[in-house]
Amino acid sequence: MSDTNGPFEPRIVAFLCRWCSYAGADLAGVSRMQYPPNVIPMRVNCSGRVDAEMVMKALEKGADGVLIGGCHPGDCHYVSGNYKTRRRVILLKRALSEIGIDPRRVHLEWISASEGGKFKETITSYVELIRQLGPSPIRLAQAEEASVEVPQEVSQGAVSDAG
Amino acid sequence: MPDSRAKTKATAKPAAKAKIGVYWAASCGGCDCALLEVNEQILDVAAAADILLWPCAADAKYSDLRGYKNGEIDLVLFNGAIRTEENREIAELIREKTKYLAAFGSCAHTGGVIGLANLSSREEIFSRVYGAEENWPQLEVSQNGETLHLPEFLTTLTPLDAVVDVDYYVPGCPPPAGVVSDLFSALVTGDLPPTGTVFASSKNLCDECPREREQLKITKILRPHEQEPDPDKCLLDQGFICMGPATRGGCGAVCPKANMPCTGCAGPTANIEDQGAAMLNTLASLVGTGEEGEDQLEAEDAILAQIDDIVGTFYRFSSATTLLKGRYHERNATR
Repeated sequence: MSDTNGPFEPRIVAFLCRWCSYAGADLAGVSRMQYPPNVIPMRVNCSGRVDAEMVMKALEKGADGVLIGGCHPGDCHYVSGNYKTRRRVILLKRALSEIGIDPRRVHLEWISASEGGKFKETITSYVELIRQLGPSPIRLAQAEEASVEVPQEVSQGAVSDAG
Repeated sequence: MPDSRAKTKATAKPAAKAKIGVYWAASCGGCDCALLEVNEQILDVAAAADILLWPCAADAKYSDLRGYKNGEIDLVLFNGAIRTEENREIAELIREKTKYLAAFGSCAHTGGVIGLANLSSREEIFSRVYGAEENWPQLEVSQNGETLHLPEFLTTLTPLDAVVDVDYYVPGCPPPAGVVSDLFSALVTGDLPPTGTVFASSKNLCDECPREREQLKITKILRPHEQEPDPDKCLLDQGFICMGPATRGGCGAVCPKANMPCTGCAGPTANIEDQGAAMLNTLASLVGTGEEGEDQLEAEDAILAQIDDIVGTFYRFSSATTLLKGRYHERNATR
């Protein structure tokens, strides 16, 4: 995931809840499912642990997208952590939108421990979406300030204005 | 910010008569008025210190400031943010000439209300304020053989510590009289605290708010003009967005005591980096119908939709210091 060579490769931070989504990722792994290597998984005890500040920090430190994986509604190990995170993500997306960042750069998905396939699908489609959106504007602004070049070449069939 | 700064004891006691200064950069002047809120105590300050610089109240020129020896001034209270080239230049000059520099008030501390200007470009701001481009201020104006130079308007507004090292922080819009009084007492006795000190509480505002908290869920968002709040109950419990949980205390909860929600002027508490993110977390946890469940999601969305202007509310005084600084222009940002 070099910054200076080759075409743009998305950098995605995924906060995965220990009881469901991280176990789903494990299942995808032991089942030898193939998915793009653009994701840095971070295990958290609950999706409710994912603070808005953590997401912003990931974006500030150069992530092009942040994925949050939690248990399906009703399945949260801590009863209601995933509902809190859902509300947080709604507000966070609106805040990002207000400062001119595409809200799709933060994504919440319910992935259970038995859904290795869904984990694979989610990662694959999210990496593709971020690839089409291009590098995060925050990363570009920081690079411009530091005079570093970030590859902006977007893959074939780049996103249209309609998204 | 104070937490990342090495804390050293301020040892040099001011000489028999301390030399102090007050400066305003991009500021409304409210901070200068706040200095007088300590009433008679200002006379003690005048007796204990010579005021070498105070553009709002005394006649001193920049040339006088340039004439002082480096470190000659003991303490400068700097209010206002860094908006123009002049603000930056004088901040750097003052830093050279003073032993201790205090960021006084929200604008110098976190960027303040005017930090919200960072959400608009320089062109947008100028169009709004001056109208057509021909009316925009020119950096050089010549008339009758004289040339007037105006300082450049910087592309982004920053707090004081983004351009020079800051020794003390005095939060608040404006800093409350009690805090100003503490600062003056320290100055008059020559017993200044370690550098990096923030003249406020390290706990949040709720810690000093007298209102009763019942841990209710917020089922409806209210704005202060829509309903008179119950003066004894927690404002958040009643549905008013009160920034107390994410804001540094020290003011004695003056706004909640006057039946107005806290707007967050004192900036984030010691343990928080991003005030707006902290408030966003708090509110997301509080909003709800009283029950958690899949069948409640629609109702929750309807409550969340009542929250207007997230950045302007949660970052009213700290948008210049948020983690995601400034304004971006991504396609589909508002889809």
